[in-house]
Amino acid sequence: MAHILLVEDSPEVSMTVREILEAAGHTVDDAPSGADALKILKAGKFDLIVSDIWMPGMDGIALLKEIRGAGNDIPVVVISGGAPNAPLTYTAPLAATFGANAVVYKPFEKAELLQAVATVLS
Amino acid sequence: MRQVKICSAAPRLSRVANLSMVRFMFSSNAHAEPTRFTHPFGASWFMVRSFPLRNAGKILHVIDAVDITAMKNAEFEVRESEQRLEEATRIAQLGTFKLQWDTGTMQWSPHVYTILGLAPDAYVYSLGRYRAMVHPDDRESYDRLHEDLLDGKGIRGAEHRIIRPDGNVRWLRVEGRVLFDADGIPYASFGTYQDITEAKQREQELKSLLRRNTLLYEALDASPIGVAVVTTEYGRPEIFYVNAEFERLTHHNTSSLSEGGMAALQPEGDAGRGWDRILQTLAVSRGGAFEVSCDQRGAAPFLAQIEIAPVSDHPGQETNIFVLNLRDVTSDRQRAEALLQSQKLEALGQLSGGVAHEINNLLQPMLALSDLGQDIADTDPAKVKKYFQVIASSGRKARDVVRQVLTFARRDAPQLASYAIAALVEDALALAHSGFPPGITLASSLSVEGVSAVVNPTQVSQVVLNLITNAADAMNGEGTITLRLDTVDLDAIAAGSLTLAAGTWVALTVSDHGCGMDSYTLSRIFEPFYTTKVAGKGTGLGLSVVYSIVAGWGGTLKVDSEVDKGTTAVVYIPAARE
Repeated sequence: MAHILLVEDSPEVSMTVREILEAAGHTVDDAPSGADALKILKAGKFDLIVSDIWMPGMDGIALLKEIRGAGNDIPVVVISGGAPNAPLTYTAPLAATFGANAVVYKPFEKAELLQAVATVLS
Repeated sequence: MRQVKICSAAPRLSRVANLSMVRFMFSSNAHAEPTRFTHPFGASWFMVRSFPLRNAGKILHVIDAVDITAMKNAEFEVRESEQRLEEATRIAQLGTFKLQWDTGTMQWSPHVYTILGLAPDAYVYSLGRYRAMVHPDDRESYDRLHEDLLDGKGIRGAEHRIIRPDGNVRWLRVEGRVLFDADGIPYASFGTYQDITEAKQREQELKSLLRRNTLLYEALDASPIGVAVVTTEYGRPEIFYVNAEFERLTHHNTSSLSEGGMAALQPEGDAGRGWDRILQTLAVSRGGAFEVSCDQRGAAPFLAQIEIAPVSDHPGQETNIFVLNLRDVTSDRQRAEALLQSQKLEALGQLSGGVAHEINNLLQPMLALSDLGQDIADTDPAKVKKYFQVIASSGRKARDVVRQVLTFARRDAPQLASYAIAALVEDALALAHSGFPPGITLASSLSVEGVSAVVNPTQVSQVVLNLITNAADAMNGEGTITLRLDTVDLDAIAAGSLTLAAGTWVALTVSDHGCGMDSYTLSRIFEPFYTTKVAGKGTGLGLSVVYSIVAGWGGTLKVDSEVDKGTTAVVYIPAARE
């Protein structure tokens, strides 16, 4: 089972994703923004990052740039509900461009997320 | 003429004789002097003469007196009439001339020299020298006048110009008649010159004034805007002029309006506040713009835009004369409503990404937790209960989002009513928040607790969203937008410069520290479809729609901007009367 860093600004979504991942046996640490996530990443060792895209402050894309820019190739699953002026369909190519390993669109079934996590970890 | 010897004089002569004697006693020479003698019947003049005779060392005076009364009276009459004539001609600015036919010489009275700008001169001017002074353009008519005189005709009121030696041009009016000798042969012409330059100038000024006046009336009648002139001199506003377009729009004319006053323009049973506001504006001697229902005699009322401007010599000075512009904006309003609707949809499109994000985030717990909950329903009821709480709260939040979007998108005629303005702005901000780029922070200060404004809630969202979107775009998605809501008391001068009525207004201020605008861009921001944004980022409807909405409330929008410093937009909203 994996140690996962969850980056999500919405408390409801964060709680939901944590429940899904923990029910599947993973351990989860969470961060409400990209900036917090970078701090937590430095302090601990993680197998995977699950990150939202559209967040106040440092968003998911900026976080990806930081991680990959620092040479860190930790697997990243992006969860996205779309963004203003950026329809949902644009999110996958955008995330892929900046080095995401998988994209799951909100609202997703628990199986969709667990499938993506399993694929990325294998 | 009688000769009277003093020794045999009647008693009434003795006094004059005595007086003369007394004076002549001291003279040793012969002497003669006209002497006035008064008596109960009047006065007589005598030429009193004295001749001294020397006899044995004594001087004997022989005095005689000749009655010259008739001659003296005639002399006085002539002198008096000359004086009267001189005075009369001086007063009338008249100079007289006499033209001697045989010599062709002119004799002028002193005032002619003044008129012609010549030094008073003893020598006689000739006709030729006068003609040389006549304005070249008038010489032909002057020659005709001269011929008429020579033909023995009189002249009445002939006019020509002369050029004075100093170059000054004067207008002269000439009257003349022919003088005949005892045998009926004409020998001279006599007449007057009158300097009518000032009168001519006044006549010219009057003519050009009349021409200007006519032109102004014609221009006003050609204007595609209804124009009326209103006075409040007698208390209630009265209309004393309307142009052709005003008559066409209202089916009223100046006389039917001067009878009925402004009230004739208000449709019967009209309950709108517009006319009240117009009357208030006139009462406080201010200008403003209004949208009211306006009477059209014999037809249905139309939607009118009325602009009022005080007519005064100095800005800010009290006046009771106003010019009133009238336009039929019925079709404009229909177009504006269509425009407003399409802009709303556009704004909704821009919002939709944010709204979708919001809804998706709220659906996420509902979908996944209900699934997870089923798995643990039997084993962990406490957790399932917690799931249900999150699901329910997410559902409620989603309902609010949908309601906000629907409120915004609703296609309804904008009904204006009194609302707590701070709450409406807060709602709009909640809706806008979901669409904020991450780099944008909003500092809002809504210090108008309990203040109501006369607005339409949907339109308030539209105004707030448009202003915030513009501010965010101007800052390239990075920076702080400041939004303030205050009440302001505008005095007459401040209100006048905004074309608002003086009083209390609610001011919604949105400021950014973005790229700003130059004065050219600033001058065009209210034009529909004018945009500086790249293709796909905006249609250029935002500010024109804000302006149109705010004008519909009876308020106004003022935008100040400086390149690279930022932009401040202030919306003045009518505060509800307590």
